[in-house]
Amino acid sequence: MTGSRQAVMDRIRAGLGGVVEDGAGRSASLKRDYRQHGTLDAEKKIALLIERLHEYDAEVAECAEPELPATIAAQIARSGRRVLVAPSGLPAAWLVKGADWRVDHELTHAQIEEAEGVVTASFCGVADSGTIVLHHSPSEGRRVLTLLPDWHLCVLRTRDVVETLPEYFARCAEPPRLATYISGPSATADIEMTRIKGVHGPRFLSVVLVRDDG
Amino acid sequence: MSAPAQHPILDPAAAPPFPAAALPVLRNAQLRKNVAHATDVIQGKRNRLVAEKTDWTELRESASAIRAHTLEHLGEYLAEFEERCTLAGGVVHWAADAGEAREIILRILQEEKADEVIKIKTMTSAEIQLNPFLRQNGVRAYETDLAEIILQLGEDEPSHVVVPALHVNRAQVREIFARTMNLPELSDDPQALTAAARTYLRKMFLTVPTAISGANYLIAETGGVAIVESEGNGRMCLTLPRTMITLAGIEKVIPRFRDLEVMLQVLARSATGERMNPYTSLWTGVTPGDGPQHFHVVLLDNGRSAMLRREMERQTLKCIRCGACMNTCPVYRQTGGHAYGSVYPGPIGAILTPQLQKLEHAQTLPYASSLCGACYDVCPVKINIPEVLIDLRAQVTEKERAEDRRFFDPIYVGMRVANWVFASAGRFRLAQRAARLGLRLFTRKDGWIHALPGVGGRWTMTRDLRGLPQQTFREWWAKERGR
Ligand code: SF4
Repeated sequence: MTGSRQAVMDRIRAGLGGVVEDGAGRSASLKRDYRQHGTLDAEKKIALLIERLHEYDAEVAECAEPELPATIAAQIARSGRRVLVAPSGLPAAWLVKGADWRVDHELTHAQIEEAEGVVTASFCGVADSGTIVLHHSPSEGRRVLTLLPDWHLCVLRTRDVVETLPEYFARCAEPPRLATYISGPSATADIEMTRIKGVHGPRFLSVVLVRDDG
Repeated sequence: MSAPAQHPILDPAAAPPFPAAALPVLRNAQLRKNVAHATDVIQGKRNRLVAEKTDWTELRESASAIRAHTLEHLGEYLAEFEERCTLAGGVVHWAADAGEAREIILRILQEEKADEVIKIKTMTSAEIQLNPFLRQNGVRAYETDLAEIILQLGEDEPSHVVVPALHVNRAQVREIFARTMNLPELSDDPQALTAAARTYLRKMFLTVPTAISGANYLIAETGGVAIVESEGNGRMCLTLPRTMITLAGIEKVIPRFRDLEVMLQVLARSATGERMNPYTSLWTGVTPGDGPQHFHVVLLDNGRSAMLRREMERQTLKCIRCGACMNTCPVYRQTGGHAYGSVYPGPIGAILTPQLQKLEHAQTLPYASSLCGACYDVCPVKINIPEVLIDLRAQVTEKERAEDRRFFDPIYVGMRVANWVFASAGRFRLAQRAARLGLRLFTRKDGWIHALPGVGGRWTMTRDLRGLPQQTFREWWAKERGR
């Protein structure tokens, strides 16, 4: 710690009238009348997610659990990419034939930069905003893995899809230490408000939706 | 294209008064066109997405309540943030003012032996004028947000808190990039311009080991920091370097992780008219094996704590810098951001800057408004900007009166006289009669006054004044109803 901690704190306390503050924690009881839960049935919820992902120009493929490795292989083949990185915790069955896998056992930034794509799992999806949530667990990978490669294939299970953002927060038993929320590929509108895709992050997002909600 | 304007001055202590700064802009047709286009587009998107949100009112209510509650307990939440962030491996610094923040950041960079640093867009760093300071001390700061690159390479200044280069059009961007990146063949297609920026930055991201960011939210509960962005330059800066420095105003804290479920929903819709911005990043201290292994947070006061005293002014600190108030403001939409002489333009700038300056500078800003209230309508955290503007106007007047600077100013004298006249019914009646007689001279046949001499001319310069009626209401009443 450096600088003027005491001076700043004193000024804050003086500003707030020097009352003994004991209100912290009370934030939980603030008024929250906004929509906490979705109202769509399972089918409509997934349809909404797919619609949103399409709006972001993401590719979506659906499959049942047993077909997952084959679907991953098909999506990789379609993308025309070969050199792929994978998080260290990616299920072995997902490391399908036909790609040149570089599993992340302390890969360097340069090695990751060389890869043409990355395949990861995900923590959950939010239909309302078309958001993919990563908590960077071993199967979701370190943050850099989903940042440098130009193509991101992300596996999402339908039982992990919620309708509203508050439902995602309700799912977090513990706040994540690291998280990335992805709502469409990297984009900018800084020049005359013209939306341009692919500034720095991956330019292509491909989602494999695993139908596992019965 | 119009002649290039002079370099905008965003230091409130040195900037000209708002009316003087606005005048050249009002004559710059190109700039006004650029600003109008950008604000129209964002507003259109924002309005559509707010309209589709059935619980917008409730979200706004909660966002406002969370921010107000946080400020009421700011000390506690900052202490909690500091404790958690430190436990997670971060180092928290406290800066009483801009100078101290600059010194702290420079010292960290020197310890890292850094002579280069990459930056994620942060208005707070512009507030403390960090880049020129680092440069004087041998550290080159590279902006990485597309808009900020345009401004940095074009030696220009930001004019909006969300889209800082909205006053620059594609032809101007092409000119800047072609010249500074040595790409004479570059086209003015936004796609090509964006690609040029990507190439320009890629190597920098992979090689520069230190980064500076701002923060959208500091989470007291976890000690974590949240940043929202669109391009991915933020993710690059907060993932690849070895050392990361986050500069944040003390008001940026929110109580709990879950509060993001409100703040993120209102921010994206208000700022860019999206359901969610493309990337939101959240990190907590240092995580072994993932991202920077040295993490510093610099908490900046710089005039903020003085605004906590009165609820009226305190609400200014609820701001989440979404920019919606400027997009909708009829004044900003005509003048753009530079006229405000501060990194914080528009309605929020008009109340924030004078307060940060303790009313020693920027006294004209509270008047840079028609008080139409459009800013209050759109503000996602319900800051009653018009109310604060009026309060600040009163403070400016008080201050001027106290300093006797306005003693001979005709407006001040006029107000004093009016005060005296309005205080008595008899004097008021006499004054009405005198005014009717006096103004008759200037009233045309159509019943309007088109031009007045002296101070009155300041009014009739821009609008006509209705002539006084032959009879006042009181006279009419006395006649109709008798005594
Ligand atoms: S004052 Fe309100 S509308 Fe303006 S930038 Fe701040 S939060 Fe947004």
